[in-house]
Amino acid sequence: MVSASPRALSYQERIDLLRATKKRHTEEKWRVLGSIDMDDNGIILPPLETLRCVEVMGGSGVPMKDALFSTFTPKSNHPSGGIFGARACGENYRALLEMHPTYVDPVSSLAGCYMVNFLSYRTPQWNPDFDYPHLRPEQQLYGLHHGIGAVQHFCQDMTIGLSLGWEGLRRKILTFRSVNTDDEAQELYDGLEHFVLGMQNWIGRTAAAAREMAASEANPQLRENLLQIAAINDHLVHEPPRTFREACQWMLWYQLSGKMYNMGGSLGRIDQFLYPYYQRDKQLGTLEDEEAVFHIACHFLMDTSYTQLGGPDSLHEDTTNPLSYLVLEAAHRLKIPVNVGVCVGEHIDPQLLRRGVEIMFQDKTGIPKFLGVDRTSEGFARNGYPMTLARERAYSGCHWSALPGREYTVNDCVKINFARVFEVAFQEMMDDAHAQPSVSDLWNRFEKHLRRAAAVIGESLDFQIDHMYRVYPELHMDLLCHGPIERGRDASHGGVEYVNLCVDGSGLATTADSFAALEQRVEKEERFTWQQIAAFLKSDWEGPEGERARLLMHRIPRYGSGRSCADAYASRIASTFTTIIKEKPTPRGFNMIPGLFSWAANLAMGADVGATPNGRHAKERISHGPNPDPGFRKDAAPTALALAVAAVQPGYGNTAPMQIELDPGLSKGEEDIGNVAALIRTHFDLGGTQINMNILDKKTILEAHKDPSKYPDLVVRVTGFSAYFASLSPGIRQMVVDRILAGE
Amino acid sequence: MSKDLVFHIQRFSIHDGPGIRTTVFLKGCAMQCFWCHNPEGRHPYRELQYYASRCIACGECVRVCPSNAHELVQGVHTFLRDRCTTHGACVDVCCSGALEMNGREMSAEEVLDEILQDKPFYDNSGGGVTLSGGEPGLSAKFSKDILSRCKEEGVATAIETCGYCSAEALKTLIPVTDLFMMDLKLMTPERHAEATGNSNERILENARMLAGTDRPLIFRTPIVPSVNDLTEEFTGIVGFIHELMALRHAQGSTASITYELLAFHKLGSDKYLSLGMEYTASHIEPPTKEVMQNLLAIARDAGVAARIR
Repeated sequence: MVSASPRALSYQERIDLLRATKKRHTEEKWRVLGSIDMDDNGIILPPLETLRCVEVMGGSGVPMKDALFSTFTPKSNHPSGGIFGARACGENYRALLEMHPTYVDPVSSLAGCYMVNFLSYRTPQWNPDFDYPHLRPEQQLYGLHHGIGAVQHFCQDMTIGLSLGWEGLRRKILTFRSVNTDDEAQELYDGLEHFVLGMQNWIGRTAAAAREMAASEANPQLRENLLQIAAINDHLVHEPPRTFREACQWMLWYQLSGKMYNMGGSLGRIDQFLYPYYQRDKQLGTLEDEEAVFHIACHFLMDTSYTQLGGPDSLHEDTTNPLSYLVLEAAHRLKIPVNVGVCVGEHIDPQLLRRGVEIMFQDKTGIPKFLGVDRTSEGFARNGYPMTLARERAYSGCHWSALPGREYTVNDCVKINFARVFEVAFQEMMDDAHAQPSVSDLWNRFEKHLRRAAAVIGESLDFQIDHMYRVYPELHMDLLCHGPIERGRDASHGGVEYVNLCVDGSGLATTADSFAALEQRVEKEERFTWQQIAAFLKSDWEGPEGERARLLMHRIPRYGSGRSCADAYASRIASTFTTIIKEKPTPRGFNMIPGLFSWAANLAMGADVGATPNGRHAKERISHGPNPDPGFRKDAAPTALALAVAAVQPGYGNTAPMQIELDPGLSKGEEDIGNVAALIRTHFDLGGTQINMNILDKKTILEAHKDPSKYPDLVVRVTGFSAYFASLSPGIRQMVVDRILAGE
Repeated sequence: MSKDLVFHIQRFSIHDGPGIRTTVFLKGCAMQCFWCHNPEGRHPYRELQYYASRCIACGECVRVCPSNAHELVQGVHTFLRDRCTTHGACVDVCCSGALEMNGREMSAEEVLDEILQDKPFYDNSGGGVTLSGGEPGLSAKFSKDILSRCKEEGVATAIETCGYCSAEALKTLIPVTDLFMMDLKLMTPERHAEATGNSNERILENARMLAGTDRPLIFRTPIVPSVNDLTEEFTGIVGFIHELMALRHAQGSTASITYELLAFHKLGSDKYLSLGMEYTASHIEPPTKEVMQNLLAIARDAGVAARIR
């Protein structure tokens, strides 16, 4: 608590106080929950007297704990104990919202936080009535992340909510309720209305809580702030926002409701949809830039969702504006995990890139990320869309973009593990008594199985689209999309205009290096026979002979070294994968878009794969995204990395992000900022689509790995997302450490 | 096209001239600076590097070596350098990377091929190629061939020289070199000889010769405590640079002369061990930030455009 003081706190002092509060909340989460291998979502723990822990599976494949209210139990509508369909989900979610404690920090300009994941109350998550035994054997054979059950991972159009407000949304639901009278629509409207009513209750109670706190607040500055919060939230229960601060508060409520519902809510182009409010307040003289930075910072403290800054409008004009810089500034002042992406492109203000690199050098928190928007727009257009539409896709998730409010994507939820497909192919070849093992035979089998894996993905995605609305509809996103309310259909079931389903390949380097190692050591040099290699893999390189063989197989010119056999295989795998995904849509005719990305799931995917011929041990993680494996070149040259990753881009608008770790030694001055900016620009010129960067000191990261609690403020970009290093599980920390130590 | 020994090609080299560069390290240098962090560049011939800490004692090198330079006794590997003929078969079979061949014969075209891979990065950053060493002036023909081809391909060129080579050699490189970076280590000839094995007259002559051209010139001094961080020695270097600036000015030349201070470091020490060489700078600690800042101030006060690299 801040005591009464004659001097008003500056915005920076308030940011510092709020960051300290966040640190306390974060440390409490570490104590109660342990590792958190995902976005630092700004969730805080329920009050300890109502806290109940459950075990859930984390995205990285490591089981993790999640906190729930012991005082809330949802009502199941199914013998399995699950909660399925729009009505039951909406009803239960509303009940949760209506019991959720209010949260007002007198130092912040915005109220609200969320304390539980509704997802963790829903067991089972999938409705057993819609079983898919016909798909399961091959999903398991290839270890597919098949997308059945995937939630959110597309982008709403925030302007819908900002212009209508909660009551406007409710009126819109009521209007269309009388237009679309079929059962599916009526059930959806029930769910949506529950959602809105729950939100109105939560916001109204928060306004009352702020007023009550104001009554007993001794500090006049904070008392005034609390009264403003009360007035703003009273207004927002029904009305749309008018001012910049109100718009930020509305946006935060929407985001919190999505995070709690299904971890959804992607900010997208915040510098565009908030700009009219910023301009209005500036013209009226009621908003200073310092204050605008503060409101954005208050939002980021509670919601770290993905944001695009700058970028082209549909006619290719640069949209970078003063607010783009202020959002970047807010991230800079906070130095907490946030996910701000800076657009880089031919028509885009180069100063934004420069400022982004400056902040990257100064803060060393892996913030911002860099977005090659020209390449992603051109790529998206290759799916048959006009460039004007392609440029409207907004960056809004780990590695992905989507058309705000108009596109269903399951981005980042569907993955094919190349290493696993390779393993199936290798096993089949070695088990085939008639086969003469060769790299070319192996390649043919790999391609055959990759094609089959993609077909299973297509069928799985159709299954998802057929059933998801009756399992766990996208109530939160439906509210702010163009179509779901108008048509009475969930976004996953025909509610939005476009369906472009993301399918990512993972384990590129592991697989490319494995092909190259076999070609070099077995076929060209004849150092080992195929049978010997098969035996080494089966025994996981057992014994001194096995270890020697493993090292030799590992020590070949690897993907990323430049113009090597492994580089050629990486390009061949990427282009074959792209061809297979693009040669036909799903059986029901939905477009699929290839990308290369593993997220942090490369640990779980690796646990599913035995030893591989690139010298990798069984169960070790597979390579990360489209990146070469750490140590791919002795000099770890960033230009070699940038060339390699640029050369494997699928090129249809979804990304293959380059993960790059730079030594702090190079961030000495102005010239170095220019050089890193040139590195980024050139990667995008050559076809690259996105860059996740860290500038971290090797010594610090090693010490932090030994005892993370000594470095509670250390923020790293793990993959597409950014997190406190101390939040991560040992396996993920090790991955970050290995990347940073590579090239030693 | 000529061929010569290259010991390393460093891409994304950003402290060896402007922009993003590729630095090509040529083998062979006539100086023997005791603090040198690139000892693998000293000898103009191939050498086997042996990193004992990486060795897993598998004995494969013993099996393939034609000159019995490797021994494995009771599970311990010993490398007998005096028997080594740098045949290289051991490197091919070494699975752990404990054995590496220092020095690879490359043609100018092969070097160019590696350089050109990063051309888009040079173009966007104002970078290019830098020849370093070793001493590029001792491989003048090879250096000239590489740099001429770079110019033809539109790649900006630079040379890092210790200055201890013939003026004629350097002169042949002037037409194909956009920027010269030259070390000035000490001004007192005797002290220079003591620290580097050679007197500095030839170096200073070459510096004057280069100052007489229209090429931008960056002088660099590795600041080695107790060697050249003393004010008297350092002001001598700065004075000499100032003298050359005046010379250029008098000739009406607008080409720049700038100065960079580099702090001595010990990052090359394990390479000495791998080459069977003695590291004689272990007793010296890197200069403090204060020392570097003081020297920078001295240089700037003397009117020299200096910075710390």
